[in-house]
Amino acid sequence: MKQAQPDRWGLNGLLMTSVLVLAPHALRLPGWIVLVCAGALAWRFAVENRGWHNPHAIVRIALTALVAAAIYEHYGTLLGRDAGTGFLAALLALKFLELRQWRDCLVIVFLCQLLLLAGFLYSQSVGLATYSLLVIVICMASVVRLNQPTGMLLRDYPRLASALLLKAVPLMLAMFVLFPRIHGSLWRLPSDAYSGVTGISEVMRPGSLSRLSVSDAPAFRVEFDGKPPHTEQLYWRGMVLWHTDGQRWVAGKAKTELDSTLSFEHLGAPVRYTITAEPSNKPWMLALDLPLLVPRQARVRAGHLLEHRTPVHKRKSYTLVSYLHYNTGALTPAERDYALQLPDQVSARTRALANEWRQSSGDNLAIAQSALDYFRRLPFFYTLEPPRLGKDPVDEFLFSTRRGFCGHFTSAFVTLMRAAGVPSRVVQGYQGGEFNPAGGYLLVRQADAHAWAEIWQAGRGWVRIDPTAAVAPERVQFGIDTVRRLHGRGIDLGNLSADAVRRLIELGWFEAAWRGLRFYWDATNLAWHRSVLGYDRARQERLLAKLSLPELSAAGLLAALAVTVVIGLILLALSMHRARRHDPTHAAYLVFCNKLRRIDIARADTEGALMFARRVAALRPDLQTPVGVITDLYLRIRYGGLVGAEPVRVLKQKIAQFQPARRLFDTN
Amino acid sequence: MAAAEVPTAVVLARRQLYILPTAGGLVFSLLLAVLLLAAVNYTNSLAYGLCFLLAAIAIVSMLYTHRNLNGLNVSLGPCTPVFAGDPAGFEVCLDNSSESARFGVCVERDRTPARRVDLRAGEQCYVRIDVPARRRGYVTAPPLVISTRFPLGLLYAWSRRIQLPQRCLVYPRPVPPGPTPIAPDEQFAQDQNPRAEGEDFLGLREFRPGDSPRHVSWRAVARGQGMLTKQFGGGGRASLWLDWDTLAGLDTEHRLSQLCRWVLDCEHAGLHYGLRLPDTQIAPAHGEAHRRRCLTALALFPG
Repeated sequence: MKQAQPDRWGLNGLLMTSVLVLAPHALRLPGWIVLVCAGALAWRFAVENRGWHNPHAIVRIALTALVAAAIYEHYGTLLGRDAGTGFLAALLALKFLELRQWRDCLVIVFLCQLLLLAGFLYSQSVGLATYSLLVIVICMASVVRLNQPTGMLLRDYPRLASALLLKAVPLMLAMFVLFPRIHGSLWRLPSDAYSGVTGISEVMRPGSLSRLSVSDAPAFRVEFDGKPPHTEQLYWRGMVLWHTDGQRWVAGKAKTELDSTLSFEHLGAPVRYTITAEPSNKPWMLALDLPLLVPRQARVRAGHLLEHRTPVHKRKSYTLVSYLHYNTGALTPAERDYALQLPDQVSARTRALANEWRQSSGDNLAIAQSALDYFRRLPFFYTLEPPRLGKDPVDEFLFSTRRGFCGHFTSAFVTLMRAAGVPSRVVQGYQGGEFNPAGGYLLVRQADAHAWAEIWQAGRGWVRIDPTAAVAPERVQFGIDTVRRLHGRGIDLGNLSADAVRRLIELGWFEAAWRGLRFYWDATNLAWHRSVLGYDRARQERLLAKLSLPELSAAGLLAALAVTVVIGLILLALSMHRARRHDPTHAAYLVFCNKLRRIDIARADTEGALMFARRVAALRPDLQTPVGVITDLYLRIRYGGLVGAEPVRVLKQKIAQFQPARRLFDTN
Repeated sequence: MAAAEVPTAVVLARRQLYILPTAGGLVFSLLLAVLLLAAVNYTNSLAYGLCFLLAAIAIVSMLYTHRNLNGLNVSLGPCTPVFAGDPAGFEVCLDNSSESARFGVCVERDRTPARRVDLRAGEQCYVRIDVPARRRGYVTAPPLVISTRFPLGLLYAWSRRIQLPQRCLVYPRPVPPGPTPIAPDEQFAQDQNPRAEGEDFLGLREFRPGDSPRHVSWRAVARGQGMLTKQFGGGGRASLWLDWDTLAGLDTEHRLSQLCRWVLDCEHAGLHYGLRLPDTQIAPAHGEAHRRRCLTALALFPG
């Protein structure tokens, strides 16, 4: 029924579509799958354009079986996001080697769409969405070419595909807005369903890290109601680590066994803000210092922490009220026990140092101050690339290497505090952030991950102490970005005045412009995440309420969707109909008729142009000449074979000049 | 005649057009279902977007498919009579009077596409549909269906069966030329010898010795065309009668076939001939119109 051999240009279009679809996957897929895909596509390209032959059927079948087996071997399954993508990619490429007819082309088109979707499971960026639109245009153009290889110019195909797409977009938006959304998923997703990087983890192990994560990926964005606090006040608490075995710090049993309450005595003014967090695949819920209220779908954890009830697999927004100044009050005995826990292996000289401070100082804060002085007085350095530490990282760090980042300083500090009998704990989270003036929000990146300490002081409760700030105040004052830039230029931290740092990090015009551009781009991204990617049932309800539509059930939404699509389709059909009927000559003539109607000479719908002209001439002999000229020209363009743009232009000009005046007095 | 009730042309309008997905379109909807399922399950907004965009493209393409046929003018041209056994060729005229092109318009007969054509804006196109004409008489134009799969091949639009009133006349199949199976009757044999007598001027032929000088076309000689003899025939004589009764002993169809052959031969030979059938009689004459009259009489002979 269809022509036996698919059109060459259509096939080349499909090849191009496939290359574009596979390109974003290429980096993620194992190298050999990429090679298989590239080989198969190149072969088909040669078949189409260089007169090669397709490989023999036996070779094709063997190859397909081999690749499927290899993928199974590699991933352990053919399902799920990663294995599925690999399998689809190989299938798509190998399908080209046995492509014979229209049906095979459709299979390829479908595989391409599935791979596009698979790409969205990895990234949903504005860039990828735009790119996918381009791919769909090329894909549709190829389909039209394969279905209709004759009669159209090559450039008409992308044009037609674009027209289809443009007309489809309003319908798509209607469906997107109205399609009922459900909470959660239909079935349990495979474990690789989510991607996410995170700057903090549940285990702090400073000795084993030789490099700090410097990922620029955003962790979360914050919009403040009112003026945002200073950078050095922005401590985003994520989790409290109570337990140490000398090498690593974890939350331990305290997390679940201690009483969890948010109660505290708040001082100063509240800060209200909305956080839009990137998926972390963890339940933690970051908050600025101590939050006052528990949002929906969250619960309280020991240490004035909030936590989502389930791990966060998608971007989430929540609004919180926090106090930066507070008094958490007394310590429970259980809390004290956890806050003083130390392993036996803490070295003698560490304990001696702590004891010395205990003896010489009055309260807990004074002991902490001694420790900070110690870090400041001795040659401790903040570095992003510290040496690896051995079995007793705290001892090694304190007495020999003395180089490290927040984790090293904090773990050593808390160990010393506990050895000195000061209840203390490690807090992990983020510090600082970059204010985006374009979007009016603060962007906190994974690289802003930080760890600091909290000690308990009678009469004040838990007090934050950031030992890193003692050594590298720039870290807290200017943020990690500054530290990295200074580090990159080989400048040591700790000995510079704030002004000197500011001078050093002052940006050239190009960098400043680039930074501004990045701000805009990130603001666009936030809007995209908010309105498109974060569109869920709650947002749908809010939007419908805003449109003053009643709350609809899923069935109601589907009905509304169907009605909207039908109305949209009718409107589209009418507009296409009108566009088809649009005729500049006739439009100009209608202008002419309107001018005559204004002087009370209206043309009847059934009245021909010539008859009308005669009637006008009879009524108004003074208009006979211009009306005759215009009518004649109109008729000759429309029916007399007068072609081209020039006559139409002249007609329009004559009609523009035609200004019939109402007769002021009756000549009779 | 002009006030014939049956329309000779059909303009395809909304009420005559149907549209349904093709097999590919059905698989496409399956793809949409898979995409939607994935979107719901992964609660992935862009996956929703992709699914809805493809669905919307398919829906919009429906308008294109429909528009590709809507307003197309279908008519049938006159049909040249044929002899039984030859295919009767109907010329289907597709007239695109709109301002946009129509692509991949199929003329279908009995659910099989006869031909696919593309029509530019304002273009007319003829598609020949052959209908086997097995028996003499009339062959009516077959019911036609105009269809298209433009632009994506996911949807199939087709028109209601179009039955136009055109008929094609089918003459009896002439017996093979050459020695006829029936011995020509004496009268016929005698009359078949073209004698250059009579009053009707038949034409010119080369001068042969023995021709009467009175019949030489001296005007042609004067023009330098050489010696040509004027041929005359007819003269109202009943000598060239092709008579039904001379073929007694044969069945009807065979007789008609034989008469058909004779008509063709006589016409070819430039003779003056008449046809005598049991209930009709066509006076001897000559020429295309006469031939047609005779053959029509044979074609429509009752029985």
